[in-house]
Amino acid sequence: MSNAEDNKSSHDQLSSQVFLDLVDSVIADVASECHRVARLGLDRDLEVVEEELRLSVEARAKVADPSNNLETNTKYVVDIFGQSHPPVATEVFNCMNCGRQIVAGRFAPHLERCMGKGRKARAKATRSTTASQNRNSRRSTSDNNQLASGPPGFEENVRRA
Amino acid sequence: MVLVESGEKENLMELVRDRLVESGWKDEMRIACREHVKKKGRKDVTVDELIRVITPKGRASVPDAVKEELLNRIQKFIQSAAL
Repeated sequence: MSNAEDNKSSHDQLSSQVFLDLVDSVIADVASECHRVARLGLDRDLEVVEEELRLSVEARAKVADPSNNLETNTKYVVDIFGQSHPPVATEVFNCMNCGRQIVAGRFAPHLERCMGKGRKARAKATRSTTASQNRNSRRSTSDNNQLASGPPGFEENVRRA
Repeated sequence: MVLVESGEKENLMELVRDRLVESGWKDEMRIACREHVKKKGRKDVTVDELIRVITPKGRASVPDAVKEELLNRIQKFIQSAAL
């Protein structure tokens, strides 16, 4: 019986010894790594990153501040990632009304024509029967059913155009 | 020693390293080193000194779960090797 106990305790001791040995090895690795970093000044990179973070925060604050004079570079504003944004948005997508491919920056004018404000759209619309209904209903103030018809204000603008 | 010859020591080393990194222990040790370097100055610090400084803390701060897992594994190996 005591033999087994002895065995166990010596096993325990041995295990602990091995364990400590392993931990010491890892500690030595860490120490060596840190020593190298310190002597080579590699931890200066950390300081650089922190400095850059600080600068970007400052830049963001400057842009957000309305009292700043932003005349320089208003044409091509450069954001914190260094990307520049052209004054006219260039992304292309499909108009949900007519399905055509439209440049985002020209979408508003397109929509005006597409949905019935412009002369061309109104000329198109007169060909269909619903269009004449539209014209009649536009006289009344509260009719909002037709998609193609714009609010009364549009018609006046069109006549002027 | 059988531990080394069988390759088990390598396995254990890898296991210990993984566990200690996962638990953040290594990061704590690195912070401790950096603080000592700041105190002593870059040029003057030596590896031995760093080891000396962080070993007591390192040994004490191994998470209990990690220690248990390792000890179990070592004991199992010893027992199987003794047979």
